[in-house]
Amino acid sequence: MLEIRDLCTCYGKVQALWDVSLQVNEGEIVALVGSNGAGKTTLLNTISGLLRPVSGQITFLGKMIRGLPPHAIVELGISQVPEGGRVFPEMTVRENLEMGAYPYRVWRDKEATLKQVYQLFPLLKEREKQLARTLSGGERQMLAIGRCLMSRPRLCMFDEPSYGLAPLVVAEIFRIIRHLRDQGITVLLVEQNVRRALEIADRAYVLENGRICLEGACTELLENDHVRRAYLGL
Amino acid sequence: MTTVRILEIVIPGLLLGGLYALIAMGLSLQYGVARILNFSHGEFIMLGALTTWTLFTALGVNPFLALAMCGPAAFVIGFFIHRTLYKRLLISSPSPAVFESSSMLASFGLMFVIQNIALLAWGPEIRGYSYLSIPVNLGGALFGANRLVTLGVAIVIGMTFYLFISLTRTGKAIRAAAQDPAAAGLMGVNINSVLALCFGLGAGLASVAGMLISMCYPVHAVMGREYTIIAIIVVVLGGLGSIPGSFIGGFLLGLIGSIVTQIEPGLALVAYYAIFVLLLLIKPTGLMGK
Repeated sequence: MLEIRDLCTCYGKVQALWDVSLQVNEGEIVALVGSNGAGKTTLLNTISGLLRPVSGQITFLGKMIRGLPPHAIVELGISQVPEGGRVFPEMTVRENLEMGAYPYRVWRDKEATLKQVYQLFPLLKEREKQLARTLSGGERQMLAIGRCLMSRPRLCMFDEPSYGLAPLVVAEIFRIIRHLRDQGITVLLVEQNVRRALEIADRAYVLENGRICLEGACTELLENDHVRRAYLGL
Repeated sequence: MTTVRILEIVIPGLLLGGLYALIAMGLSLQYGVARILNFSHGEFIMLGALTTWTLFTALGVNPFLALAMCGPAAFVIGFFIHRTLYKRLLISSPSPAVFESSSMLASFGLMFVIQNIALLAWGPEIRGYSYLSIPVNLGGALFGANRLVTLGVAIVIGMTFYLFISLTRTGKAIRAAAQDPAAAGLMGVNINSVLALCFGLGAGLASVAGMLISMCYPVHAVMGREYTIIAIIVVVLGGLGSIPGSFIGGFLLGLIGSIVTQIEPGLALVAYYAIFVLLLLIKPTGLMGK
């Protein structure tokens, strides 16, 4: 579904990604793990079109998407839940969700989509008229996920969805991610919480210093010595 | 103080306030969303005012017909300026802070260019015309019909604009882009188009305000600068990036100006500056700022 080949991205003069190749198949949950500053967010932002790669290929459903602006990429069905949620603080919960349905492809059906999202997150329905800045961290993350779903994505990319949240909320978020996969949405999951990520995903890539250093089925990676030492503390 | 006396202060204050509100809402879009502290804002006001004057005196065109022409024309010019000049600056700027300073300098340059073209075209003379200046009795006080109509039009345009920003799909995209441009892009908003749209709408509002000003006050080729500064003061007073803040702030400043003018006509601008300085010291986020 999503195929990345030999991708290089720079921040100014500093190269952040080196020859990254990665594949996400339809219906999978693929985890992308690694420590702080490894380039995980850079990779997501390059796919989303917020950053322009220096070289390499990105194809989605057989279509070249490298170099397209962010709005064109959302239109094709790739949606990102950015790190920290990045909800619009001075808009209400409902307005935030409506913004998620901004692409023409989904704007007309936004009421129906909204109903589905409220079914998944009853809490958002209750808080519909509240400004997003008054929500707690967990609620903001839920809102960000709901907003992402409003664009009816084929591929959902999560950037550190559990970061800074209480364990109960984290469990809820991972339950939702699994639910999305059951609904047929493909997931690319960036996580620092390596154990949780490997438990939920089908396959995973390990990113170190801007390069993919390991890849494989999660069951194998959980047994891998390097992963156990460096990321699981075993 | 009699009610007539109060009306004689409040109505001109509201009139001035309505004009300030339109001007400030325009600048609020350009500065609050597109991050351009546009020093050429007043020049679009001047262009609207002098074009209306020319159309009225030379061709007998009704000022409101001139408004229907000037507003959209200024929008197109503003949109085009953003697409050519500011978009390039945005792409070549390594950070938002660099863009804010370079775009401000560019707008300074634009101010001089437009002002001098206007001086060549219209000369430095002070112009004015008389339209709808029949007196109307309002609660015992007399006002020119043109002033009351101007106040009404300013309020209607301001409210329409506020509804556009709050309720429409494009209006929501503008607000989202003001709060978090990158996140708005991830929602599918074409950021470059929204920024150009904001700059164009700002220019359009300025030109509409200029047309209304020409109906009530004398106009000339270098009138713009004073209005630019007033617009900046109102935007800060209302809270950066807040459209309702600019609307309310405009009326507030207009009323203050009218009261001060009653006491000492030359001191209105001084009072504005004093408010500006106090505001920056005490509440730099403004009335409705975050």
